[in-house]
Amino acid sequence: MTIEKQVKQLDRVIIRFAGDSGDGMQLTGDRFTQESAVFGNDLVTLPSFPAEIRAPQGTIPGVSSFQIHFADHDIRTAGDRPDVLVAMNPAALKANLGDLPKGAAIIVDSADFTKRNLDKAGYDANPLDQLGEVNDPLGDFQVHAVDLTGITVEAVKEFGLSRKDASRAKNMFALGLLSWMYGRPTEPTVKFLEKKFSKVPDILGANLAAFKAGWNFGETTETFVVQYEIKPAKMKSGTYRNITGNLALSYGLVAAGVRSGLPVFLGSYPITPATDILHELSKHKSFGVTTLQAEDEIAGVGAAIGASFAGSLGVTTTSGPGIALKGEAIGLAVMTELPLLVINVQRGGPSTGLPTKTEQSDLLQAMYGRNGEAPVPIVAPQSPGDCFGAAVEAARIAVTYRTPVMLLSDGYLANGSEPWQIPSIDELPVIDPNFATTPNHVSKKSADGEPDEFWPYLRDEQTYARPWAIPGTAGLEHRIGGLEKGEGHGNISYDSVNHDRMVRIRAEKIKRIANSLPPLEIDDPSGEAKVLVIGWGSTYGPIGAACRRVRRAGYNVAQVHLRHLNPFPNDLGAILKKYDKVLVPEMNLGQLSKMLRAEYLVDAIGYNHVYGLPLKAAELAEAVGALVGEAEGKDVDLGEHGLNMLSAPDGAS
Amino acid sequence: MTYVIAEPCIDLKDRACVDECPVDCIYEGKRMLYIHPDECVDCGACEPVCPVEAIFYEDDLSDETQAYIAINADFFAHVGSPGGAANANVSDHDHPFVAEHPHRSSREVRV
Amino acid sequence: MSTIDLPLPGARTGTELIPAVDEGVTQTGKDFTSDQEVRWCPGCGDYAVLKAVQGFLPDLGLRRENIVFVSGIGCSSRFPYYLDTYGMHSIHGRAPSIATGIATAREDLSVWVVTGDGDALSIGGNHLIHALRRNVNMTILLFNNRIYGLTKGQYSPTSEVGKVTKSTPVGSLDHPFNPVSLALGAEASFVARTIDSDRKHLTAVLSAAAAHRGTSFVEIYQNCPIFNDGAFDAIKGMGDHKGEKDYAIIPLNHGEPITFGVRDEAGPLNGLGDKALVRSASGNIEVVDTADISTEAILVHDAHDPDPSTAFAISRLTAADYLNRSPIGIFRQVERPTYDDQARAQVSDAAAKVSGSAEDRLTALINAGDTWTID
Repeated sequence: MTIEKQVKQLDRVIIRFAGDSGDGMQLTGDRFTQESAVFGNDLVTLPSFPAEIRAPQGTIPGVSSFQIHFADHDIRTAGDRPDVLVAMNPAALKANLGDLPKGAAIIVDSADFTKRNLDKAGYDANPLDQLGEVNDPLGDFQVHAVDLTGITVEAVKEFGLSRKDASRAKNMFALGLLSWMYGRPTEPTVKFLEKKFSKVPDILGANLAAFKAGWNFGETTETFVVQYEIKPAKMKSGTYRNITGNLALSYGLVAAGVRSGLPVFLGSYPITPATDILHELSKHKSFGVTTLQAEDEIAGVGAAIGASFAGSLGVTTTSGPGIALKGEAIGLAVMTELPLLVINVQRGGPSTGLPTKTEQSDLLQAMYGRNGEAPVPIVAPQSPGDCFGAAVEAARIAVTYRTPVMLLSDGYLANGSEPWQIPSIDELPVIDPNFATTPNHVSKKSADGEPDEFWPYLRDEQTYARPWAIPGTAGLEHRIGGLEKGEGHGNISYDSVNHDRMVRIRAEKIKRIANSLPPLEIDDPSGEAKVLVIGWGSTYGPIGAACRRVRRAGYNVAQVHLRHLNPFPNDLGAILKKYDKVLVPEMNLGQLSKMLRAEYLVDAIGYNHVYGLPLKAAELAEAVGALVGEAEGKDVDLGEHGLNMLSAPDGAS
Repeated sequence: MTYVIAEPCIDLKDRACVDECPVDCIYEGKRMLYIHPDECVDCGACEPVCPVEAIFYEDDLSDETQAYIAINADFFAHVGSPGGAANANVSDHDHPFVAEHPHRSSREVRV
Repeated sequence: MSTIDLPLPGARTGTELIPAVDEGVTQTGKDFTSDQEVRWCPGCGDYAVLKAVQGFLPDLGLRRENIVFVSGIGCSSRFPYYLDTYGMHSIHGRAPSIATGIATAREDLSVWVVTGDGDALSIGGNHLIHALRRNVNMTILLFNNRIYGLTKGQYSPTSEVGKVTKSTPVGSLDHPFNPVSLALGAEASFVARTIDSDRKHLTAVLSAAAAHRGTSFVEIYQNCPIFNDGAFDAIKGMGDHKGEKDYAIIPLNHGEPITFGVRDEAGPLNGLGDKALVRSASGNIEVVDTADISTEAILVHDAHDPDPSTAFAISRLTAADYLNRSPIGIFRQVERPTYDDQARAQVSDAAAKVSGSAEDRLTALINAGDTWTID
């Protein structure tokens, strides 16, 4: 019997897969993402998982989820509110229900709605039993209760697995079902499973069978009558892949090694959400990458500084708590003026905070979190794919200017993903280590007036960079350290005038980096905006989406996004002065706005959320709209483009 | 570089420096103490304790007293480097220059 | 989790991969002396060690530019400034981690760490034990003066219990570390102890330490004449402890019976000291009168014993309070693969398995996996 299925066109969909930590939701989301990427949709993803590796099964703290927003056009965020929720157990339903808009579809595994699981999730009664009743708590939604576990176990019977093992394939069943529903290509997942489980044929067979059963279930069951089509997005020509921020950042570090000809040396201590970079780089020894899992955060940066002194590209990766520990060593790199990349994948703070949640609250730590006047350049990627280029840029600055550079990623960029146009290696900047090889100073003893001694703090006139002479270079033996240096010769100096001068020289060197930066891009399509929205880092997506909403509602707004936070680009001051109002959305309590106020005396207005989640575009759009109203002296109503939409009719994000 | 004992020590041999020397490199001749130039580590502990300011850093010797660099060094020509005065006996001789130096009565010691 | 058999680089000496000076070139201590004025207190033991190191480095026969001294913070950590080699005066306690980076990045460098009892055992204790455990090819010189000097006289992790200092006016409560015991506990592959004022012994130990491939740990008893003067007088037979030296030092020489005290070459003990170490019935090491036992019963020092237990037991003979007895010499010297050799081998093995330019391989890497092309 063939069931008549409808096909509906959509321009974008937000799906959230949610289940217990052990249910494989991250894998399911990741596979759906790959399928969508290969299909050619634009997409943005937002994984969310508990800090505990295995929180008690079936409980709300144990819920792990993965959200994907995919579309037939260019999108900026993982979406505010899911159109579809796949909930593998009662806890997953309860934890995510609040985020759903009216009319959203919910697919639940009815097999998991047992008394025990309902109790653990805090349900007094089974909401599935009340479907269609007067007090149906899920009445606002289209609920599909499917015995995912039961059908999966039946489908994989032939492989002779225990019920428990068989039921573990239910995530693949769900993936198959959703793949059918949204017309996703199945080959990437089949290939992926074949590779992953090549050594365990039973498990491979079960997963493939579950995946296919899910697809077939969609095609044959009466429960689902609509199939959706989201056409590929029009994107710039090129080759694309889907990539997470941590992977892009790792590749960027490898690329920085290749482009500088320096061996990369990573000293790191595992910490969420930065650890993936250590994992990834440890796979790339063939590029001359050495990774040291140090005994602690300080040893990680210490070894990187040592490697830099010896002529490697020293890198250390961590998150905020690790930066706190590395502070003194970063100060040493400031004083010794050695290239060093310090990568902070920010998470919620303070202290241990929210290890698996995102936040931008380490900007002032990056700026000021050291003793003394210890300026450190700061670079922040704006999207997962941009982590690649940002890593190369950080390395360019570090090597060219002989300085530690702070790269501020965050948990959202780290684990989130997007299609990434793969760059050509030739187009990346060449990074010249420019090692010192000969004496650079004429001593009193010089017979012929030619340089006969090496002064480690004699600077390049343009960049103020000092020479980098590595051990093994005869005649350039020198000592550096944390004590103040005499200008030029670099010997210890306690002279007060010299100290004042050296502090200013170090500051000036960092300031001069701005001379090497491209002009800022101002996104102001009408050219008539009175309000500028300026942000940094991962808020690029939500800010861009919010600005689009405001513009679609008929208003003018400009957007500028900062990749360099220290020094600020030379043209920033003039840009800020052009606008009547400046809004600074951040996932902190106003750190960039504080810096802008201090530097430019501009009345920067903060828009600040610290929910551990990316900013929501619709909410932010309302704030932008309100400010536009103020600036232009009129009432602003964003209508369907703001918060009061039920579901956006067009590509609203 | 080394520290050097000069003329004021002759016929005095206060020995405060011997107690102070961390590497035991001050040896006793018949009329004067001598610093072993190879064993001295330039730490300067001896210099301030000498009651007659007989000890100088090599570079600080005056033109007239420069000769004591050689006098100290040559004293060890036949002693070698015993690696500590405790390993050597008090010598019954001196560098010829010291040996021939006019005797002073115990009197002239400047305190 | 699984384990994998690692490539074992052949056992080599500590200096084998480091460029030597050209034939016919002789270096002197002067070549290793920088133009910086030495600024320790008069009488500081650090002068003696500096002089010994400056005297010893030429004997290594290595190119000056391939030698790196790294230090932390403290009086002894000024050391690198006075040597005309490459050097870094880093931050408190972290020198072993910085040296680990240097030694792992470059096989052609002779890497030395200069540290003190506070730097290495207090603030930097973690890095010390992990460097020893990893066995990175470097030499750690721990200047132990049993006091904090640079901060003007507080007790250190090696100070004796009850010590009255500025921060402990009614006596320190901390039980001290025995640095040699600690190093042996961390499974260091080379552990030795020597004395600042004994240049001959110090030089011999430094030679052996440099020749050892792996982390060589050398504790140097070093007198602080300002804040802890006389801490080692018994060991040195100085001050109020003249004549105690023979019974205070237990010399360790590989392959020789361990005896100390008065040695009467012509007497019945045939040149052995009148005190000897023996293994007691309980397995401990104890001191007995040599005359009371047969010569065969005397413990023969075996620095190459793979099991560090005996070396550890010998290290426990060091007095914990006033130092009037301590074994001196090389406690342990065993072959063990070094972290840096193996890390470099993993990198070079991986590099040997690939072909093509780095740019091409990078292009392949970032294009791997599921990609799609938009025209």
